[in-house]
Amino acid sequence: MSRLLAVIPQAWGDQALEAALGAAQHVSAGESYAVVLVSSQPSAEHAQLAARAGAKLVYQAVHAALGECDEPQVLVVAIAEALRAIPRLGSEVPLVLLPPGPQGEELAALLADCLDGQALGRCVALRLEDDAVLAERAAWGGRMRLVLRAASGPAFACVRAGRPQLKAGASADLFDLELHGSLPKALTLDKRESGQRLPPLEGAKLVVSGGRGVNEQGFALLEELALSLGGTLGGSLPAVDAGMVPVLRQVGVSGKFVSPQIYLAVGISGTLQHLAGVSLDSCIVAVNQDPEADIFKVASLGIVAPWETFLPALLAGLRQSVPG
Amino acid sequence: MNILVLLAGVADIRFPLHPIVLSSEAVIQEQGSPRRVLSPFDEAALEIALKLRDARPETQIDVLLLDGCNSENLLRSVAAFCPDSLQCLQLQPCQLWDARQTAVQIAGLIKRDYPGHELILLGRELGDLDEGSIAVLLARRLGRAQLAMAQFGQWQNEQLWLMRERGTCEEWLQVDQPLLASVTNDRRNKLRHPLMKNVMQAKRMTFTQVTASAPERVGLSLSQLENAPVIARGGQCRLLSGDIAEQAKALVGWLKEQGVNS
Repeated sequence: MSRLLAVIPQAWGDQALEAALGAAQHVSAGESYAVVLVSSQPSAEHAQLAARAGAKLVYQAVHAALGECDEPQVLVVAIAEALRAIPRLGSEVPLVLLPPGPQGEELAALLADCLDGQALGRCVALRLEDDAVLAERAAWGGRMRLVLRAASGPAFACVRAGRPQLKAGASADLFDLELHGSLPKALTLDKRESGQRLPPLEGAKLVVSGGRGVNEQGFALLEELALSLGGTLGGSLPAVDAGMVPVLRQVGVSGKFVSPQIYLAVGISGTLQHLAGVSLDSCIVAVNQDPEADIFKVASLGIVAPWETFLPALLAGLRQSVPG
Repeated sequence: MNILVLLAGVADIRFPLHPIVLSSEAVIQEQGSPRRVLSPFDEAALEIALKLRDARPETQIDVLLLDGCNSENLLRSVAAFCPDSLQCLQLQPCQLWDARQTAVQIAGLIKRDYPGHELILLGRELGDLDEGSIAVLLARRLGRAQLAMAQFGQWQNEQLWLMRERGTCEEWLQVDQPLLASVTNDRRNKLRHPLMKNVMQAKRMTFTQVTASAPERVGLSLSQLENAPVIARGGQCRLLSGDIAEQAKALVGWLKEQGVNS
């Protein structure tokens, strides 16, 4: 039995599924690992994807009362029941991966407490040793790196490693786990439309993002630009603080992690904290009037210009380029 | 309503980081002249509490600020907002990298000293070593419901409501049971400036310290602490030349080459 296990709530969507499989594949370094898919009904498609990503054992943990619930506070009870039902994970310290992101981190902490394990949280690297799990974590705003050693387990963690490589024709042993435990009641929330008209950051192929140097008019132009390019809108922490963009569009170490093909950064200086939220695979295009801004050190394409004149010119250029 | 606000402070990212080392006893030692300030999340938690007190002056705000370097100055800056009480919180042992340990320590203190506080507010990350787990585990240890990523709070018909955004929705929660809310930054909770007379008064204050302790947990240890490696990015920035119109045209052309639809 593998000591590495990825637990994936299916209500969190395809992106969480892929991110967790990518992480498991990366951390396993070619060794076998298991996947637990948690939902209210089994999905052969997801089980097949896990197998193609290299999972040797796939557990379909089904709790009918889960419905569409995506709340970690509820999921933790069902997942703990599933993990208790799975045969012993080996004599070493087992490592349980959750999908990266705030919900995964919350669930990892809850599971660690529930199952008396170690809460390793949001890691930048994970390594399995004979008698321990080693976890590297960013601290002090990404300026320091600490290494935690979990010598008793299980250990629960999240890590980002991109999308999994899929093998055609791979197969895994499939097991069904029927869960019946009593689930806690989720918070009763009154939901109201917030007026957001742009797609979410998650999964966007192009993100237009603004920083401290951009005001309300500038963000209106950025939104127009994002719509025009078929992308979506993001912002840095100072832009969120200034009320230019809602926090759910915040990119950075304390916000969302994005992995678009193109990241168009306007008026963003390029702090470590912000760049920690942008995938290394993304191509950064920087617009900044300060030629010394750090963002130009990491961008592929740069425009030294004030956004006040450049954005209207860019929008006009895009309008002219539309045929017909 | 009684509100407890937990604050941690972080190293000021506008300045180079002070030297931080791991001693042979695996204790983190911060050296030099650390510049510790409230984080955006600390500030947001404090501002929500202040706004609720503005609207209902009978609201009591008690604040615990984690001990650490530069605590005296940080305590004074918080005192300038006139909380009803303010204490420096010392953890024993102090292992903020272990969220379970930290949550057990703080939960024990809250149960002992603040059992009747209906609302606990803290930033979604508590200090420089937390990545969001402490709030989750603290709520669990206290047996309280948790609202993660709260952005705003207001009274409506004598009832307190807290709000967060998810997807295209605002989610509002009526606080009708003891609750812990981890707060994130938002334009509505940007921390106000204190009155100058209160700043001056805070300079003359002295502060008490309270200790939260729990036996050291086994199984998890801090084995290394080092500067973060420089992450290699593609870079090799090609600057577009020409006037604004030419640069814009060049970018439009480049975007088309990348297959971007417009």
